[in-house]
Amino acid sequence: MSDVRDPLYTSLAQRVIAILWPSFLTAGLATVLLFTWIDPAELSLYVPGAEGVTRLGAYSAGFFGLWAITAVSSALTSYFGRPAGR
Amino acid sequence: MSKAATPPEGNEQEFYAKRAKVYPREVHGLFARLRTAGVLGLLGIFYGAPWLTWGDRQAIWFDLPGRKFHVIGWTFWPQDFFLLALLLIIAALSLFFFTTLAGRLWCGYACPQTVWTEAFLWIERRIEGDRSAQMKLDKAPWGGRKLAIKGTKHAIWLIFALFTGLTFVGYFTPIAELMPRFFTFQTGGWETFWILFYAFATWGNAGFMREQVCIYMCPYARFQSAMFDKDTLIISYDEKRGEPRGSRKRGVDPKEKGLGDCIDCTLCVQVCPTGIDIRDGLQYQCIGCAACVDVCDQVMDKMGYPRGLVRYTTENAMEGKVTKVLRPRVVLYALLLLVLMAGLLYGIMSRNPVGIDVIRDRNVLFRELPDGRVENVYTLKLLNKSDSLREYHVEIRGLEGAELVIDRVMPVPVPAGGVVELPARVRLDPVVLDAPTAELVFIARVAGEPDAGNERAGRFVGRMR
Repeated sequence: MSDVRDPLYTSLAQRVIAILWPSFLTAGLATVLLFTWIDPAELSLYVPGAEGVTRLGAYSAGFFGLWAITAVSSALTSYFGRPAGR
Repeated sequence: MSKAATPPEGNEQEFYAKRAKVYPREVHGLFARLRTAGVLGLLGIFYGAPWLTWGDRQAIWFDLPGRKFHVIGWTFWPQDFFLLALLLIIAALSLFFFTTLAGRLWCGYACPQTVWTEAFLWIERRIEGDRSAQMKLDKAPWGGRKLAIKGTKHAIWLIFALFTGLTFVGYFTPIAELMPRFFTFQTGGWETFWILFYAFATWGNAGFMREQVCIYMCPYARFQSAMFDKDTLIISYDEKRGEPRGSRKRGVDPKEKGLGDCIDCTLCVQVCPTGIDIRDGLQYQCIGCAACVDVCDQVMDKMGYPRGLVRYTTENAMEGKVTKVLRPRVVLYALLLLVLMAGLLYGIMSRNPVGIDVIRDRNVLFRELPDGRVENVYTLKLLNKSDSLREYHVEIRGLEGAELVIDRVMPVPVPAGGVVELPARVRLDPVVLDAPTAELVFIARVAGEPDAGNERAGRFVGRMR
């Protein structure tokens, strides 16, 4: 397994999984923490334009928003994890 | 696993090794039967549990839109979050405990990835046939027959996956109403999305990803070896007994030919759901499913050799030493688990069913009344976490001379598991304030319930700075 041909290093699919999957897990955790703390129904009272947002919609949108952010973090980690100067 | 410090230079494409599809051969035997029992039991719980009712509601209902989790007779609120955190810690610690004792028991018998993969494999085998038929079909050129077989398989997989997605969402929205709504295309946008998302994930993970989830995606698979010691139950090939391996005719004395007990039939490799060779030693890809144990025992029976060439054992037992079950870390995990479980039980039992939230009116800081006093407006939320109606008295304290005005007759009835919103006004002569603002405390009192935790602080604004 210490062969440089280890597909983990070269496969695009593995890299995509390594970016999307950990960010999915952490985004799920962050969503639970965020919406335990904040009730989106109350939030919609004070955010202009958010009057019609349902809780389920807010949870879902919140999850995907957080996933996007955590995916950016994972992607940067993956990018900086590669050797520089080539 | 990989200690390669530098990826290959130049064109990486040529080094790209495509994953070889694993076709696990069907296996019968003691551990296969145990796993089937586990799969049927767990799938039964998953698909059956949301249909149970408790009173006039679903017994297990994670009501996200209502921000309440119902578990049988209990109702949990966002305020009870620490209980969920405690439960997750207990779950993690249980996993560590069982891993130390019995290795990857979870992976081989109870992990959803294993359970649904087994179900999908079962369907695949009924339609495509066993390993050799599947391999032949995959090699064959696309034609009517292949299309029909693959199409049928995917249709059944997708129906199964869709039902799984529906059941999953049924934990969050009452399933008895969800099912008819789904089949008449009346589910809401997000509901539909999550049903399809979960169905897609089931289909993808159990139909295609399979062992790759364990090898590349599962964090537990990566760190479980840290919980292993020489007394942990593992699946191991008895190298001393098996080597040198080699084929031979039945009835031939292996000692005469200078061979060990392994006849090199490679069945242990063919049944392996992760496609490894257990004879190469303990590998992190091994999910401990014991398929190789079952199949090797059958081969040993046929050859007339004793069973257990591949068996559940421990490193110490393999070396001829005594296996100790009670080790310091096992005892420590067990004690920690007991303490945390007791804590969880105490936490659930001693939950205060009375709750109050205070929200200040955000539009008007304060209002001056004709009599010179100042009025602040709040919305009070009275929470009843119990399963029966309670009567609430609301009081304030901490602000000398303040008057609480609520346009409702006390006590206010709050239904079981319900919230009542109460507009409340607090009036006070601002001359008694030595600062522009002051803190006051709202208290919700219910006869027969403790007062601890029934208070919320609010801010009173008396004048501009």
